[in-house]
Amino acid sequence: MHEMSIALEVCRLAGDRLGAAAPRLVVVGVTVGDDAGVEPENLAFCLEALLAEPPFQGASPRIIREPGDALHLSYLEVDDDDQDD
Amino acid sequence: MTIRTIEVRERVMARNDEIAARVRARLTGAGVPAFNLVSSPGSGKTLLLERTLAELGSELRIAVVTGDVQTQNDADRLARHTDQLVQAVVTNGACHLDARQVETALEAINLAATDLLFIENVGNLVCPALWDLGEHAKIALFSVTEGEDKPSKYPNMFRAARWVVFTKLDLLPHVPFSLERAVDLARAVNPNLGFLMTSSVGPHGLGEWFSFCRAQARRGVLV
Repeated sequence: MHEMSIALEVCRLAGDRLGAAAPRLVVVGVTVGDDAGVEPENLAFCLEALLAEPPFQGASPRIIREPGDALHLSYLEVDDDDQDD
Repeated sequence: MTIRTIEVRERVMARNDEIAARVRARLTGAGVPAFNLVSSPGSGKTLLLERTLAELGSELRIAVVTGDVQTQNDADRLARHTDQLVQAVVTNGACHLDARQVETALEAINLAATDLLFIENVGNLVCPALWDLGEHAKIALFSVTEGEDKPSKYPNMFRAARWVVFTKLDLLPHVPFSLERAVDLARAVNPNLGFLMTSSVGPHGLGEWFSFCRAQARRGVLV
């Protein structure tokens, strides 16, 4: 259930990182450790719902699994040819 | 289409943990030990706090922050037993409290006139394990009407907790629950756990818990 809170925070971090003159976001990579206490499919579902809305407009979540309890926004993929201004 | 990758590697919980550190520093500075009570729904958190406020309210200044998904029923129940402010946080659907909510709730509490703070989290053994609220320790309540294998099923919570308070021990003769097995399973997850035995029904079931509260208030933040 807390996956939606985590997805909201991932989107906040992504928005902060992209800044005002944001290029179009294509992929949001999130690392979820096996012991992070987060259900990866549920998190991906929540992220899909949030990333479908402005300002993200259809970016896809990509969940990276690893051992341990990591929970990181790992990387963003952006399309520099499709500036959102 | 020119795809560029931006490396981030930022912890998702970083902002919450930053606020939690601020809350903990504030509580520590004020010398107020703070405990985050976590459990599944119906394990007896509110009744334990009701009895605690009723019994210890005249000797300890106990502040409470309660979290519920909907209603402030728990806060209303607790407020009947204390002159201290009971702060209700309604999470509106969220399954846990977060550090920002606790920081906001503390604004209304006079920490200089507080000996002990309890945060009654939303009843849920999954989500609250992840969120640091700025407490000094988590206390997991575990009622004997639950399955003995709760620690195996919810290891993150029992790993995050410092103490386990067994509740409803008055029901032990009527339920197939082995305290010994439950303790063993909890220790298998977290060997450092301390255990307290309680029954909030009847006059004699909370002595150990009251002694714990008094000792924690005396020790200050050296939990």
